[in-house]
Amino acid sequence: MQKKWGKSITLLLITALLLMLAAGCGAKKEETKTEPTTTPETKTETKTEPTTTTTTEPTKTEAAGPELEGDFELQYFVGGYGDAFWKEAIAEFAKKYPKLKIKESAGPKINDQMKPRWIQGNPPDFVYIDGAGSNATQMVKDDQLLDLTDWLESAKNEDGKLIKDLLIMQPVKYDGKVAPIPFVFGTWGIFYDKAEFKKNGWNEPKNWDEFLAVSKQIQESKKMYPFIHTGKYPYYINGGLVDTAILVNNNYDTSIFDKIQALDPGVFKSDAVKKALEQVKQMVDAKYIDPASAAINHTDSQSLFLQHKDAFIPNGLWVENEMKKDVPPGFEFGFIPSVTQPAGGKLVAIPYTSTIGVAKKAKNPEAAKAFMQFILTEKYAVRWAELTGALDNIKADLSQSKDVSSLSKQASSFYNSPDTIVAPYIELNADVDKVKQDSTQALANGKITPEEWMNRMEAAAEKSRGKK
Amino acid sequence: MNWKTKRKLFIFVFTVPTLLFFCLFMIYPIIQGLYVSFFDWSGGSETKDFIGFDNYKEMLNDPIIGHAIYNDYFLVFWKVIGIVGLGTFFAVAVTRLRLKGAGFFRQVFFIPNILSVVVIGVLWNYIYNPSIGFLNSFLSLFTENKVEISYLGDEAYAMWSLLPPAIWAGVGFVMVLLVASILNIPAELYEAANLDGASQWQQFTRITMPLTWEQIKVSILWVVMTTLNGSFVIVWIMTEGGPDNATQVMGSYLYQMGFRQFHMGYASAIGALILILSLITTLALQRIMRRDTHEMS
Amino acid sequence: MHKKTLGSSILSAIIYVIMILWALCVLYPLVWSVFGSLKDNQQFLLKMPWSLPEWPLLWENFANVWTNYNVGTYFMNSLFVTIVSTVLALLLSSTTAYVIARFRFKGSQALYNLYLASMMIPLILGLIPLFFLLTDLHLSNTLFGLILVYTAMNVSFGVFVLVGFFKTLPKELDESASIDGSSDYGVFFRIMLPLARPGLISVGIMNVLNIWNEYVMGTVLVNDPSKYTLPIGIAVMQAEMQYRTEWGPLFAGLLLSIIPVLVVYFIFQRQITSGMVAGAVK
Repeated sequence: MQKKWGKSITLLLITALLLMLAAGCGAKKEETKTEPTTTPETKTETKTEPTTTTTTEPTKTEAAGPELEGDFELQYFVGGYGDAFWKEAIAEFAKKYPKLKIKESAGPKINDQMKPRWIQGNPPDFVYIDGAGSNATQMVKDDQLLDLTDWLESAKNEDGKLIKDLLIMQPVKYDGKVAPIPFVFGTWGIFYDKAEFKKNGWNEPKNWDEFLAVSKQIQESKKMYPFIHTGKYPYYINGGLVDTAILVNNNYDTSIFDKIQALDPGVFKSDAVKKALEQVKQMVDAKYIDPASAAINHTDSQSLFLQHKDAFIPNGLWVENEMKKDVPPGFEFGFIPSVTQPAGGKLVAIPYTSTIGVAKKAKNPEAAKAFMQFILTEKYAVRWAELTGALDNIKADLSQSKDVSSLSKQASSFYNSPDTIVAPYIELNADVDKVKQDSTQALANGKITPEEWMNRMEAAAEKSRGKK
Repeated sequence: MNWKTKRKLFIFVFTVPTLLFFCLFMIYPIIQGLYVSFFDWSGGSETKDFIGFDNYKEMLNDPIIGHAIYNDYFLVFWKVIGIVGLGTFFAVAVTRLRLKGAGFFRQVFFIPNILSVVVIGVLWNYIYNPSIGFLNSFLSLFTENKVEISYLGDEAYAMWSLLPPAIWAGVGFVMVLLVASILNIPAELYEAANLDGASQWQQFTRITMPLTWEQIKVSILWVVMTTLNGSFVIVWIMTEGGPDNATQVMGSYLYQMGFRQFHMGYASAIGALILILSLITTLALQRIMRRDTHEMS
Repeated sequence: MHKKTLGSSILSAIIYVIMILWALCVLYPLVWSVFGSLKDNQQFLLKMPWSLPEWPLLWENFANVWTNYNVGTYFMNSLFVTIVSTVLALLLSSTTAYVIARFRFKGSQALYNLYLASMMIPLILGLIPLFFLLTDLHLSNTLFGLILVYTAMNVSFGVFVLVGFFKTLPKELDESASIDGSSDYGVFFRIMLPLARPGLISVGIMNVLNIWNEYVMGTVLVNDPSKYTLPIGIAVMQAEMQYRTEWGPLFAGLLLSIIPVLVVYFIFQRQITSGMVAGAVK
């Protein structure tokens, strides 16, 4: 037996060395021709998509707009928001441009499924970037999206209104250029049960001091923990707490987010960031955070919150929709965009989004642009809210609609108030973002100090700058 | 066609298709993996940049790599102790100590070995769940205050908490392996030892251990190799390498880098590192354990 | 003498207790998931984890996962992939093993060593290139692609065990057969394969277990929910629980993936254990 083992190991070692050698040689040879497979065979791929419907409806020709024709392919992720909106919008769009041959590539795993096509340079025309496996910043980095800077400056929607003016949240600029356009809009915030607070005589907090005071009260009541968060995925606490505090401590000057997006040297060590982290530290030191937080995911943390094991939870506006089934009777969702501001300060809302864009290698970019002009209207903003229970990024009056969820209405009244500052949306690259998630998690677990958080982020930013 | 060519053709038909198939789906991907590790490639773009050994150099400066290697060997060490230790103990118990229900124990102890690691991971996630989980509620029976340990969420406990499911899943196999080899030991040896008045412990160290050493060695190597090559699954299912990279092993970091952070080249370099380390480790263990055999005999 | 037996009976009592404790450790999580699969969320949150499920038992959890979470589909996919890959792997490995074991030809030792050595390579290294290979072959996201990969993964183990097996079969067999005028192929399929049945069963069962439980390759190579195998489905279900809290159905899904393996285990336990042992005694 020994012999056999020994022999096979030696052999393996030799094989491995040979393999490495082979790999080394191969590398030198092929240095010049970079892509391994960019072949014309890509055309045949289209068969494999799960949902491909061709909508060509012969209708009356409308004179409005330039004539569009040819193939037009849309890729959209189907997740929590469903696909009702897209189906409806695309059908209407098809009526308007009957000469277009429209193809939809959609589904919950569409990002992974289409990935090979993007790599091979045969992408769809229009893409709605959402869900696991998608990352708009990475798509920009990989040079997959069309530059829409000029388009956005002048593009008018179907109703003849300048799109730029209608956007609640402006697009992220990458080196001064616009590529993905934010389409979904929502903000993080702190959620609680109004009914439970009333019952216990706890005040709904309006600022940091009140938040700390009521947390203390809750802690002393021994009825529940004041605060729980989704420790396994720290972007909840980042959006609902840390980032709001950064903006508050920067005197509501949103330029700090541009600096963070640009990874400016020193921005993570700035005073505003330091003070923001100190606020988290205050909560950690006072033991307001439920220790269960550290290991649990979205629904586990939300279930505990709904069961009144915890009073506050940082979350997104979808929470009511998501937990519909498990909300106990009498539960009344309360929402405030931020609690980190001082008394008399303004409210701060940290947005999240999903974006839409046009592929750089689109075969029909004109149709893709026309489709964006078609859906970036007030009419479709209302339809989105009605069909998904969430908000899209167009300023529209939702109060007339019955189908919009109460949280969305509460939230939208916050955004329309002059006392609320909506931060610009930023998206860190995957590397820096990972460090931010890890560091915040460690900070909230009481494992590192604010200084360590800042040092880690500066180091990550520097490393990322070095790579560009 | 004469007899010889027929025979040659037969050999050809029976070996070459398998070989080609095997090379295409096993050997080629592994060579490719090594090849990609010399490129800067996001896995999403059409262009790759050849960067030589830069990915490997970067690994030297990446503190998480060191941590991941440490974690891998942490698992290797404690899994060897736990699985081989318990497995040997149980094997001796069901054979030498003539316990009632030995067959039952053998059957039951082996069950975790046939479960998918995914199933084991999900199951243990809920044993560990800080609020609805079994473990905290159970411990709370014996304490005044409710136990609220977040096993997988606290850096201090997370690595240790990965051990019980890993050991739980492996003991049965080692036990079965050793039972087979203990049963092969001639009964006369033990009878003679009994006549000499040797205690059970002496019988274990003088007879059982030396005569089953081959199988114990195989068990150790099996644990080491499956851990280095495969521990990533249970890590990914239970903690995704968190909290704060505390449970990152090389395999999970490869996955994180390649599929979550878009550095396929770097991920492949981590793959190469796994290959090299598992080779070195197996070789080293061979050496160490070979010497051991000499000393024992 | 008397003292010694007292001591050893105390000792065996202690050992007995340890064994029973470990048996509990193994069995209880399974029993626990049976309970869990029959509960609703309220019982999870408000009752002790070991409490018995309340009446009426929620058998619909099983129906729910079977249909809503497509566990039925995953199950059928797993079954299909497992059977086809196992048969393919057995065919490919037994032919090669037979030739290596019973014929002398150039490179036979090298061939054997190649398969042997490849058993030690961490497969995860080939994971990413395999993804692109299958994409290039238009086989990503198909059960067929998964079958090819699983077959390849299991060939070397089969070759290794079966070479040993074929070597033990008496030499006279093929001689007498060739006198009868059977071709090499006939000898293999009509005489050798039936004789190697115990070995084939051992290897086959090991392959079945490996493939039935495989997760890493599957999760990267298959993205379409209609193509998921059970382990992928279970992992995705756990991930989806982040958007829907449904602990009962999750446990029901776990059980549905455990039960078939348990049944197979209790039917074939002798072969399984001997197959595993054969695999490790390289």
